[in-house]
Amino acid sequence: MKKRSTFFLYVMLAIPIGLMIIPTVIVLAVALVPTGVAFIMERGKGYYGGLTVGAMNLAGTSPYLADLWTQGHTVATATGIITNVFAWLMFYGAALFGWAIYSTTPAMVSAFITMTSGNRITALRTTQRELVQKWGPDVESVYEPEGAAAAKEAAAAAATAEPMAPRR
Amino acid sequence: MRDRFTLYCDRPIPALDMPNALAYEVADRKQEGRPLYALVCKPEMPPRISVMRTLKGLEIPAVLHMVDWGVAEWPLAERKCVIVIYHRPLGGRVMDSMASTFKRIPDHQFARAVIKPIADGLVELALKGIAHRSIRPDNLYYMDEQRTKIVLGDCVTSVPSHDQPVVLETIESGMAMPSGRGGGTYADDMYAFGATILMLAIGRNPMQGVPDAEITRRKIQMGSYAALVGDERMPVAQIECLRGLLTDDAEQRWAATNIDLWLNGKRLTPIQAKPESTAQRPLRFADQEFHSIRPLSYAMYQNWEKAISIISDGTLEIWIRRGHEINDLADGIASAIKSTGAMATIAGNKIDTDDVIIARVLMLLDPKAPVRFREFRGFVEGFGQSLAIAMLRKQKLQPFQDFINRDLWRHWINAQGKAAAENQQYETVFRDLKNYMKDPNSGAGLERCVYELNEWQFCMSPLVEAQYVMEVKGVLPALDAVSKTVNTKLWPVDRHVAAFLRARYAKGTGSQIDAMNDARPDRATIGMLSVLAIVQWRLGPEALYGLAMWVGSLMNPVINSYQNRNKRKDLEKEIPKLIRKGNLAELYNFLDNPEERQKDAEGFAWAKAEFAGAEKQIYDFEHGQVDRQESAIKTGRQVGTVAATLIMFVTFLVVLMGKLL
Repeated sequence: MKKRSTFFLYVMLAIPIGLMIIPTVIVLAVALVPTGVAFIMERGKGYYGGLTVGAMNLAGTSPYLADLWTQGHTVATATGIITNVFAWLMFYGAALFGWAIYSTTPAMVSAFITMTSGNRITALRTTQRELVQKWGPDVESVYEPEGAAAAKEAAAAAATAEPMAPRR
Repeated sequence: MRDRFTLYCDRPIPALDMPNALAYEVADRKQEGRPLYALVCKPEMPPRISVMRTLKGLEIPAVLHMVDWGVAEWPLAERKCVIVIYHRPLGGRVMDSMASTFKRIPDHQFARAVIKPIADGLVELALKGIAHRSIRPDNLYYMDEQRTKIVLGDCVTSVPSHDQPVVLETIESGMAMPSGRGGGTYADDMYAFGATILMLAIGRNPMQGVPDAEITRRKIQMGSYAALVGDERMPVAQIECLRGLLTDDAEQRWAATNIDLWLNGKRLTPIQAKPESTAQRPLRFADQEFHSIRPLSYAMYQNWEKAISIISDGTLEIWIRRGHEINDLADGIASAIKSTGAMATIAGNKIDTDDVIIARVLMLLDPKAPVRFREFRGFVEGFGQSLAIAMLRKQKLQPFQDFINRDLWRHWINAQGKAAAENQQYETVFRDLKNYMKDPNSGAGLERCVYELNEWQFCMSPLVEAQYVMEVKGVLPALDAVSKTVNTKLWPVDRHVAAFLRARYAKGTGSQIDAMNDARPDRATIGMLSVLAIVQWRLGPEALYGLAMWVGSLMNPVINSYQNRNKRKDLEKEIPKLIRKGNLAELYNFLDNPEERQKDAEGFAWAKAEFAGAEKQIYDFEHGQVDRQESAIKTGRQVGTVAATLIMFVTFLVVLMGKLL
């Protein structure tokens, strides 16, 4: 009940504000479509996709928004912007760049981690040695990824199984 | 002893030796010149401590006066022994040994000089709840050099009636092994008194050289009086008294009041022995023919291996049913055979079932007789003391285990046919003993049974046996005293010490001994320490340096139970400081600090998790899976978002600046 009334309050505030800045709203409504799509597509994986695309999308929109706010904040100006093919190219090109950033940075970070892994492994081994020195060998454990243990067991079972009779 | 009596190890008095105590000269520092002698008890025989506590200092007419007793270091045995100090009888023994002959006491003196004073002495003892149980001619002494005043000798240096020859014991008591005769009663004393009078009257033991089994057989067959008198000519004046005292029925046996009446010249009704049931048709067993049940029962015990044949083929049951027409007894025998066989089938162990059947049948045939189970012959009452003696003498303990585990005690109680209160008490006691036997841990087993049954049994642990510890507060000082000589790799709380503490101080040490039985070595070790710590804390003494050092050297499992190596080093440094204080409670509190334990456990869990995390990262690095790592993806996305946001802000800033400037 409380949630609904809060939402209603926001709507009641947003409508007059939206009416006051309607040209900006018109431009953003057209320009931020890729951001909306990104939020919807990546909603199950956190909002990083939406945020990255959205930030770049806004960056692409910024020159036209600046024009709108400085050259007359009217619906006609807004309509002029949204009917400009270069503006569209700018909005969607920037969004595409955002998407590219979102897609490539994990791979780049992984590559970086791999590059520094030698040092990292040494550091981890040192930490482990210190732990064993302080807490004894009982602290040690061997990591096996999921599925590896089952595969090992299956292999062992196959090795101990009765050999099949040779085919004639 | 007690800073008062000086015992002379080099001045023995063999003439006053007892079967289980040796006599030595003694001097009293307070009253020099007082004629005394000391009996040093042999350690393998538990003395009657409770009776000593009652008799100490008491002057009972016609009973040797016990001046004092105590436990003292005895150099000849290189251990502590119980020492009893008596007034020295100046006239020596009435009869040097059971085999010797002596000048019989004249008839005219006999009643007033012998019978009356001793009977009065026995009454005094009975009023104090004591049965003498060592009344025999070679335990009577002349107190004066003129040999006019006869007194009863020592009765505390061995368990009741242990040293009594069969001839002086009732039929039932004579059937039992010496250690299993039980405490006995005033009536038993009167019987032994009667047999002693008889020997004093004729000047020798009439049964000298006759085997014990034959003596018992004759007593059963003929009655005690007839068996003992045999062809002897008894003084006419004493026949009535002897018949009264040697009556086999304990309820009809003479007491001191009967003797008083007899001494005052009142003629009493001659006691008629209750006739035993006899069958017209004899039962043939072991090449003999039996018409009565009791003689057959005794013969069956004597021929144990053959007894099962007449039981299992039904001969015995039919003979009792038809020959004696005692259907209850016959039914009881049939039921005993059936139930024992069924139990054996359930338990899956048919071996020795025959022995249980024979034992149960013998109980039914002769309920007054002791429990007879192969070589074990004892009364339920005497079980505790016979177990203690068997343990002290390192004898086989299997019969005692069988006695408890095979419910022989219960069968014997049931065979008595009357629900006496004391039988109910045995039921409770033995049920507990059976539970102790089932428990294989320290603080239970036969060791626990022996301490539960014998209030004053000293701790038989090989560690402190020589210290003769009878009370809980003596255990720790004894362990402390031996700490320099024993193998300190052994635990100070062995099975005997644990059982002793549990029996004597269950409330104080029960949970600690349970902890000591933990399968984990560290918990068991700390449990052992806690047992000793709680006893020291509650009963003292303040400092036990030797024991603390001993126990401290055993604490490795506890130290190693801490995972943190630094903590272990700290403990190893700290323990010697605590040992030097000699306080086990402090040592325990230091080693088993719950906060430290919690900290250690938490730290270990954290370290384990950290090690496992590092291991996983290393694995991921080594197996090139970094790009698939969730964290790498997440970090990458975060980096992308941050970069895009920064670009956005910079762009906005640049555009706005461009427009505004």
